[in-house]
Amino acid sequence: MQNITIFCFGASYFVALVLEVVGLWARFGWHRVVMIAMAVAGLFAHTIYLAYHATLDAAAVGTPADWYLVVAWVLAALYVGGLFAMPKSSVGLFSLPLVVGLVVVAAYSSNSPFAPQRGSVFWGGLHGWLLALGAVAVSVGFLAGAMYLVQSWRLKRKLPPTRGFRLPSLETLEHVNGAALGFSAIFVAGGVIAGVILSRFRGSAATATSLWADPLVWTSSLLLLWLVVAEVFRWVYPAARHGRKVAYLTLASFGFLILTLVAMNWTGGVHEPKPEVRSNSIHRVERASSDRIHAVGPDESGHCERWGGTA
Amino acid sequence: MKLCMVGCSHHHTGVALRERLAFTPEQVAGALVAWHAENPDVEAWLLSTCNRVELYAAMKQAQEPTSAERLVEHLAQQHTIPVDEIRSELVELNDADVVRHMFRVAASLDSMVLGEPQILSQVKQAYELACEHGTAGPLAHACFQASLRVARRVASETDLHRHRISIPSVAIADFARQIFESFDDKRVLVIGAGEMADETLRYLQDAGARQFVIINRSQERAIQLAREWHGTVANWSDLHRELVEADLVISTTAAGQPVVTLDYFRQHVANEREQRPLFVLDLAMPRDFDPRIGDEVATYLYSIDDLRTACDRNRKSRAKELPKAESIIEDETVKFLAESRHRATVPVIAQLRGEFDTVKAAELQRLFNKLPATDDATRDEITRFADRLVNKLLHPPMESLRMEANNGAPSGLLDALRRLFQLKE
Repeated sequence: MQNITIFCFGASYFVALVLEVVGLWARFGWHRVVMIAMAVAGLFAHTIYLAYHATLDAAAVGTPADWYLVVAWVLAALYVGGLFAMPKSSVGLFSLPLVVGLVVVAAYSSNSPFAPQRGSVFWGGLHGWLLALGAVAVSVGFLAGAMYLVQSWRLKRKLPPTRGFRLPSLETLEHVNGAALGFSAIFVAGGVIAGVILSRFRGSAATATSLWADPLVWTSSLLLLWLVVAEVFRWVYPAARHGRKVAYLTLASFGFLILTLVAMNWTGGVHEPKPEVRSNSIHRVERASSDRIHAVGPDESGHCERWGGTA
Repeated sequence: MKLCMVGCSHHHTGVALRERLAFTPEQVAGALVAWHAENPDVEAWLLSTCNRVELYAAMKQAQEPTSAERLVEHLAQQHTIPVDEIRSELVELNDADVVRHMFRVAASLDSMVLGEPQILSQVKQAYELACEHGTAGPLAHACFQASLRVARRVASETDLHRHRISIPSVAIADFARQIFESFDDKRVLVIGAGEMADETLRYLQDAGARQFVIINRSQERAIQLAREWHGTVANWSDLHRELVEADLVISTTAAGQPVVTLDYFRQHVANEREQRPLFVLDLAMPRDFDPRIGDEVATYLYSIDDLRTACDRNRKSRAKELPKAESIIEDETVKFLAESRHRATVPVIAQLRGEFDTVKAAELQRLFNKLPATDDATRDEITRFADRLVNKLLHPPMESLRMEANNGAPSGLLDALRRLFQLKE
């Protein structure tokens, strides 16, 4: 299992994406079978990779790289599900670039654990998972929004679906858009609240002040603020519950998510200055595999904790 | 096998005569029963659709008077039309041409709308009626089974059926379905009550639509259409309210000027809809909706010209698939005829084998009587030897018959076999 690398499933997804693009113009006999095989093989390798590293780290979102891979995995799983549920749809043309992009970003992201500090295992894990789910929901909303705009553009120009290019109906995309916006608001709000609680566990007012100086904290808060504003806007303005306006809202949400991810890559997921290291509670950081860093060793309360994950 | 078909279709015969010769399912039943009473040895089936009326007959051997004449007379009798009045309008096909024609009809290559799917169910219905009234026998079974197989091959191996070319079907399948996932909870407003509206409603109902509202200047026609489609009727004065409520609008009035102008739409409809998607199919000529309405947010307006482009594109795509479909028809026709000729040789082969087996059995009996001390193992070995000998002797004539049947009716060879081995008819 340790032989499976990011390149294995990244390449599988990329081949599936190439087949999706080629299918716009020509489809050979085994086109769909090969495409499904590549996507399923990629997802399988991706699952094994995450599972294997979760056994090493005791958390699937322990590092920024893990975090990206988990988001990519959920999107890839949705794509594979869509291959069977909507066999004629061209959803892959939209979702696979995002999956491949996330895998590529993961390959170049930090493998250092999220701020291995003391705190609550539960709240740390919850914080990381809810933000990951929020990112998935925002991404799904973005994909649905992009597809909505393309579909609407085609329909306005009287272009019928072709054999190689068929998208879900506007009605379906609108439902997905609305749901994605709602769920992303809930998940991101949950993630931020869990983060606030986690910061209280850790400590002092001074720590809280330093958190607000952290770009990752305020970009996450900005994303949450935008999602709340978008939901309120949809609530008070009925026209924003339909059509292109919802699509625009989800596209904008994705813009805020990108800001947050840039901040995460910039800070490496660490929200605050490194704590003072004491000899009797040091986190030994060992290289668990060739491309990953693994945090081991208990703190003085008997457990390890990471910002966005647990160990 | 002798096959014959007499009939008319949209290719050469006008709608007036086709209407006179058309059969309802009850009339088809009556015609088949009458045929069976007069010609119990001749299988028959009748295909009557809006585009064709064709009477088929199948028999093991040609009969006098020629089958085609009997078929023409039968068609004329059923409608009490003088034979001379229709003879020149009817097409007559025989044997291989009948098979090829049946395959083309079932595969929808002979239809007015190439690739339309309804014809296959009409062919099946013709077969069921013939079975029900006892006029379908082994020949009809073989013809229909092969026709259905060919239709399936053409459907699966070509893209002929994929492209729709009627305007309402393109509008619903290629556009309305891209806007709405389902139609059962959608409100359909029909402005005007023309034939195109009727046809579009049929497609919408097939797609699952259930809520129809009809608005027409003539209430009488609106009520009639509403009754037909289990819809409701609204007053013309309520047009703007119905436009606000509707999800799909089909407009087919004969008005000389736009029924819904851009200003009207903006003032009375757009704001109240709160940007809910609206599909408008404007089938009127001149158009009922100002084309600029199509630029409004969440409004998808399609006129006949918009859809005609899609129809023409589909028609061209279909034409590309035709050679492939025709090649399947030719391939299956050759195969079917070869199999039919093989079947025709079966009685002679069976008779010949029977004669050989009789001689073999008699000679084995004579031998075993002369050798009473022979044990069972030896008897079995001798019997197997005799079987092998008969099989090897029969193999060359059988193979020659098979080869001959592939190239045409092996009647000469069959006759020679009968004479050489003194087989009785």
